[in-house]
Amino acid sequence: MSQYKIIFTGPVGAGKTTAIESISDVPPIKTDATASDMTKNRKSSTTVAMDYGIMNLAGGEKIHLYGTPGQERFDFMWEILTTGGIGLILLLDNTRADPFQDMKFFLDSFQSFIAKTNVAIGVTQMDLSDKPAIHDYHVQLQGMGLNPPVFCVDARIKNDVSLLVQSLLYSLDPELEE
Amino acid sequence: MNDKRKSPLRVALYGMDGRTYKMMVMYLQGPCKGMAAVVEEIDAEVDIIDADFVNVEALLEQKQAQNSTRPVIVLSLQELELDNVLHVKKPVKTADMLDALMKAEAMLVEKQKPSEDVRINKKLFINTDEQKKTSKHQTAMHLDEGNFNAFIGSIPGLDVNDPKQFPNAFYNPKEYFQGYFQSACLIAQTKKQVLYLNSGWKSLIIFPHNHEIWLDADDKQLRAFAGLPINSLSGSGMSLTPASAQTLSVKQELSKFHNMDAFLWKLAVWTSKGRYPIALDITKPVFLKHWPNFTRLIVTPHALRIAALLIAGPRTLPDIAETLKIKPQYVFAFISAAHALGLIKQAKRQADEIIQPPVIKNIERQGLLTRIISKLRGQKS
Repeated sequence: MSQYKIIFTGPVGAGKTTAIESISDVPPIKTDATASDMTKNRKSSTTVAMDYGIMNLAGGEKIHLYGTPGQERFDFMWEILTTGGIGLILLLDNTRADPFQDMKFFLDSFQSFIAKTNVAIGVTQMDLSDKPAIHDYHVQLQGMGLNPPVFCVDARIKNDVSLLVQSLLYSLDPELEE
Repeated sequence: MNDKRKSPLRVALYGMDGRTYKMMVMYLQGPCKGMAAVVEEIDAEVDIIDADFVNVEALLEQKQAQNSTRPVIVLSLQELELDNVLHVKKPVKTADMLDALMKAEAMLVEKQKPSEDVRINKKLFINTDEQKKTSKHQTAMHLDEGNFNAFIGSIPGLDVNDPKQFPNAFYNPKEYFQGYFQSACLIAQTKKQVLYLNSGWKSLIIFPHNHEIWLDADDKQLRAFAGLPINSLSGSGMSLTPASAQTLSVKQELSKFHNMDAFLWKLAVWTSKGRYPIALDITKPVFLKHWPNFTRLIVTPHALRIAALLIAGPRTLPDIAETLKIKPQYVFAFISAAHALGLIKQAKRQADEIIQPPVIKNIERQGLLTRIISKLRGQKS
């Protein structure tokens, strides 16, 4: 049986682990470890390998949900992880010093994967910091020649994560039926 | 009254020669016990005019033209019939002068109250407890075809899904509360001022600084009001005023705050009742500037599909319905809401006309993607 997967990426603390947990049918396998470097300023533990969850579809198929390690020193894994992926979910933490820089970094890093598939962007922590606004992200993205879905997301809310993933899938094919 | 004020009232003098000017300075310091002090016109809080030596009416008109809101004390031998001024009859008696100064001070205190409200407003939009603004952060409501008609209502005698009736399936937002609300938001944002929309209906306050509105009504009430043409209701009774005392009551009800875009989106859906806005020519393609922030909006049936299709390229409204094999009312409702937010534009440039929508490939995994969507749609939050 083919391995279908959706990749969740983004900086440390953006909510990748929580987002996978929101839509996974099984308790996600977390590979968190105590943060020992710059990460510890943002959260007490971080993902050092990857997060993993599963969505069970009718007919027995499984969609594998992979979260990339948030730390840039693990980026050698990203290419391996994206091979055969359906698309990319990029989560950005709006409370970080420069979310646009984060966005550009991850879009550049996954450029070839996005070109082959698509990306949907979720901005988290907007209840703590409402600037930059969603519109500001669109302005930045259009400057980069991109026009993907960008939603305000609470990674704990299943509906938010679900809509973000649906937008990714409809971007791949708007004629998919509901 | 004197005790309440730590510093003297700052007054400017008009219509007085040098000698009278000096006398008045000493008079205010001595007999008036320093309740007021003479300062330059630009620094003054109160104007004192000697009407026997200057054309007081012309001077008042000049001040009105300068938008001066200072209290004015007029000194004169004769009784004068002037509005909005304090009169002290000559010869000036200390008791009369002190009385006039106290009244002027009271007027200043009264005028400062809106400023305090503004400070409260500022506190609201800077330091409010965001978590308590439950309406604002509400996650999207996802409507399916089954409950859509009941949700938006319909127009008697009009079948918006009948292509022959498309030419009549439009509405003019300006004839509804939507239009007035949009104009009010535009003014509030231009002026950067918290404004109160007087509609003769429910209290609505616009906070342009943080892109929020506050409405003293629930969705059921809003839906009913949204669908009624305004000219048959209050008509010219609609007005905008700077928000002041009304905002004090807002403090207690944070749950009635809404994000401005989410509110307008919802209002447009209910106003449209499945029609399209009059500003659009449905025979010409439209394009979507960017994806709406769907997680904080009402997701009408097929809205994600319509958005994805329009991001791929401009299309006419009937073409969208045909391509996606959906009822035109779903397209019109989405287009109305997105148009209200300024996301939908008519493709007017020649380049827009000649660009053909890219052929959407039926990727081999289409069935799989559909099953993922079914799975996601089936999950409850």
